[in-house]
Amino acid sequence: MSTPDLQPLYDAVLSGDAKTARAVTEQALSAGVEPLKLVQEYMVPAMGEVGRRFECNEYFVPELLLSARAMKAALELIRPLLAASGAQPAGRVVIGTVKGDLHDIGKNLVAAMLEGGGYEVIDLGVNVPPEKFVEVAQEKNANLVAMSALLTTTMPSMRTTIEAFKAAGVRNRVKIMIGGAPITQRYADEIGADGYAETAAGAVPLARKLAA
Amino acid sequence: MNTEELYQQRLRRYLTALRNERPDKIPIRPFVAEFTAKYAGFTCQQVAHDFNLAFEAAVRCARDFDWDAVVPNMVYVWTGLTQAAGLRYYGIPGIHVPHTTGFNYIEPPEEEAFMREDEYDALIADPTAFLYEVWLPRVSTEIVKPGQPATYRSHLALVKSAMAMMVYFNAFGPQIQRLRTECGTVSAIAGIFKAPFDILADKLRGYVGLTLDMARQPDTVLRACEALMPHLAHVGLTTADPAKQVPIGLWMHRGCVPFVNPAQFRSHYWPTLKPCIEEFWRHGHQTMFYAEGKWDAHLDDFATLPERSIIFHVDQGDIFLAHRKLHHKFALSGGIPNVLLSYGQPEEVRAYCKKVIDEVAREGGYILDAGAIMQDDTSIENLRALTDFAREYGVYSGAPTDGPLLRPCDGADVSELVGLSDRPAPRVRPGVCLPWEAKLKELPPLSGDVDLLRRVWENVDALGNTYIWQLLLSF
Ligand code: B1M
Repeated sequence: MSTPDLQPLYDAVLSGDAKTARAVTEQALSAGVEPLKLVQEYMVPAMGEVGRRFECNEYFVPELLLSARAMKAALELIRPLLAASGAQPAGRVVIGTVKGDLHDIGKNLVAAMLEGGGYEVIDLGVNVPPEKFVEVAQEKNANLVAMSALLTTTMPSMRTTIEAFKAAGVRNRVKIMIGGAPITQRYADEIGADGYAETAAGAVPLARKLAA
Repeated sequence: MNTEELYQQRLRRYLTALRNERPDKIPIRPFVAEFTAKYAGFTCQQVAHDFNLAFEAAVRCARDFDWDAVVPNMVYVWTGLTQAAGLRYYGIPGIHVPHTTGFNYIEPPEEEAFMREDEYDALIADPTAFLYEVWLPRVSTEIVKPGQPATYRSHLALVKSAMAMMVYFNAFGPQIQRLRTECGTVSAIAGIFKAPFDILADKLRGYVGLTLDMARQPDTVLRACEALMPHLAHVGLTTADPAKQVPIGLWMHRGCVPFVNPAQFRSHYWPTLKPCIEEFWRHGHQTMFYAEGKWDAHLDDFATLPERSIIFHVDQGDIFLAHRKLHHKFALSGGIPNVLLSYGQPEEVRAYCKKVIDEVAREGGYILDAGAIMQDDTSIENLRALTDFAREYGVYSGAPTDGPLLRPCDGADVSELVGLSDRPAPRVRPGVCLPWEAKLKELPPLSGDVDLLRRVWENVDALGNTYIWQLLLSF
């Protein structure tokens, strides 16, 4: 069987065309293409390009959302195969919006970008209590924790969560990154987070740097 | 100086700045929400659930701080009303969210959006009917859909929430009066308005749903925005300050880059917002653009509005850029970061205020405020530092303190403005639920003062219209 042309997968993720992304993936898998190859050679680069375009104001949240959906549509088919093959992700991230905070648009974009960067992402949703971050990070043996906050009233939950990691004696097992509109590098330093990213696209290089 | 003299002095100061001119001092107009509870010794739960306590908290702040204008109750959503209506999209402190927080708007997940993607045509055909028939039963745990068996609780929810709304709105007059007579403080805004595109995202399709619709059915979305325009503008006009002194509040949520891309802003958000703002200005009402988040990408578009027709409020955007691009036409407000007011030191607050005053307020036309509404994390000490510093440093020389009191609209030439006047009238007029013409067909031949019969029918029908559009816009 001839190897199918996989460029359309890259293009479909980049243009946010979920239907095509899924169809090409289906074809490729049935033609025997390695699932990992699809991820590493097409989807990760496509999401990388999405991030680059977002950073330089060629793409905006709508494009990011659509690309993330296209990626997810393809990943749904690939993920079970990856798990069965024992392939290791770039890292494992536990992500959530902190306690008291229900804003998740930014957090979801960060999660999608990290997923598109080859990470396994465990999304705890919104209003996540500190204990939950600690519990799941341990249980899933995550090496990264990502927190988002959009309210000045909930920023202190980030500090409380970092303290909960310390209290549980597992602070040095994870790198902790934070972000969200009111967050600054200064705040990250102040509460002892390992890193801060201003944008969703910036979260991927930050994760790579922290987990290197 | 007695309180009325103080009020007059502050009113003049505020109006002069709204006119983008130089008052005697920089007006201070902080949008204090749950901050008022913290200051007055109430809990966030108390001010959300008992509006009389919220009013009292606002009065105590206005009495103690030298502020020129405040909102009579910035913890605006009275959860007693939302509970009566059974609104799903509010968390009530102590019931759905911790009692230590204020009211919390909760957006439904994408698949439970209050309007489905295939319901645009129904919305467009008659927005008011759509809100009653489709939207209200969906957003309420109590109110049943037309066609379903009526229930006692459904009737109760309607009657109680409508009467609660009346009670609440009627309480604003005395509250505004209290601010004037007890504190000498001006009520900062009057009336409510939201952009058609924002309302679709906030209360109907949800942000993600609307984003997908913009990819799949952009023309339908545009028609829906256009269909909403006259109705939303009607709410703005009928709730605006009859004296035409203070602006209508426009709460701008998600119509900016990066929530939309620049093309979507140009095709949908702006063309369905701008005519409404011009319509308000045609009627002598200024609009306060409360630009939540960052709107830096759109300042050139805003600059195309008629001079003085808006004041531009800066949240996380670049206030210095806004000043460069807009100051020649409009006054600005805000720009002091909430993070600084909550977690900074008083000297940092003073330094930041100095920088803003030096660069933005030199020629007047600036109103001091934080970027976003201030919740209970805002430090009392820092807000005091802001106030004291502005009073010391924010003094202009040579401003007239008497002469006629000019409103923002005085002297404006609006004769060329089109606003909404060139648009086809919607099938059901804004402000109307059941038109008199339709009702008339059911009635026996009329006698006596037919005009009286029509007028009273229409006035009472308008209350039904107020109820549903206020639920949509304010609650
Ligand atoms: C881990 O590493 C990282 C790295 C990067 C990370 C990161 C993590 N997380 C984010 N990033 C970064 O990546 C993204 C893309 O680059 C960016 O993410 P952001 O999340 O910053 O950006 C998103 C892409 C877009 N930004 C957003 O989605 C926020 C937009 C605005 C309009 C907003 C929204 C949408 C909502 N709100 Co809320 N809301 C406002 C916002 C005003 C505004 N226009 O900014 C803000 C944040 N809200 C506010 C308020 C007050 C509230 N809100 C509330 C509710 C809501 C909605 C439910 C209506 C809705 C959220 C819906 C949802 N599903 O998320 C309430 C609180 C609810 C709660 N407990 O959380 C409520 C309290 C209002 C009320 N009384 O009900 C204000 C906060 C003021 C303050 N003092 O902090 C506010 C600034 C509006 C204002 N100007 O008053 C980066 O920051």
